[in-house]
Amino acid sequence: MLRPPVRPPPTEHLVKRLLPFLGAAGVLAWLVSIYLFDPEQGRHYLPCPFRWLTGWLCPGCGSQRAMHDLFHGRLCEALGHNAALVCCIPLLGAQWAVGRWRGLSLGTDNRVVYGWAIALVAWGIVRNLPGLEVLAR
Amino acid sequence: MNPPVRPKNWLVESILVTIFCCLPFGIAGIVNAANVNSRYDSGDFEGADKASKEAGKWTKIGFWIGLSLNLIGIIAYLLMIFVFVSAAAAGAASSY
Repeated sequence: MLRPPVRPPPTEHLVKRLLPFLGAAGVLAWLVSIYLFDPEQGRHYLPCPFRWLTGWLCPGCGSQRAMHDLFHGRLCEALGHNAALVCCIPLLGAQWAVGRWRGLSLGTDNRVVYGWAIALVAWGIVRNLPGLEVLAR
Repeated sequence: MNPPVRPKNWLVESILVTIFCCLPFGIAGIVNAANVNSRYDSGDFEGADKASKEAGKWTKIGFWIGLSLNLIGIIAYLLMIFVFVSAAAAGAASSY
């Protein structure tokens, strides 16, 4: 069934239509800044709000340092900062590729969704356990 | 009647928000992604649509909070460098 696309009124949705561009520009600026500045050197990056409030590491803590190291080809150091991030990138890529190949996204399978949720929460817990500081340098 | 198109469940976006921005919003997105699937598969298309909107909402909230915190940090850092450099320049000028 073909229907002509509904065009929103020009001014009413202007902000809404600009948001994706703003977001993309922001992400680009963020990526460039992570490439340029080493988050380990200065204390200029704001702390993770979760860590600031609770004192615990969240599943994403260390991902900026890990990204900086990845951009500069230091895989081992990136793994030390946030191993989950380093594993996530190929896993998400594989999930996308399998979904394309099957013609149906793997994300439509709740076993995959719960797998991600449990893995991310478990990662957040495990890296706060004493004796496992190696997971959260 | 054909079932409507499966609504977007925001799974990948929520995972990225969890790992890059802040924990609670990304996890909320993933839980709603699961709701989208189970409701759609049980034939509750309206509920699936609602869960999709909810998942998108939390993912976007997490994304914008994470991004703005990061950008504020970067701007503060650049300002600091600027102040430092101009103070150093002023100090060098006055010592002559």
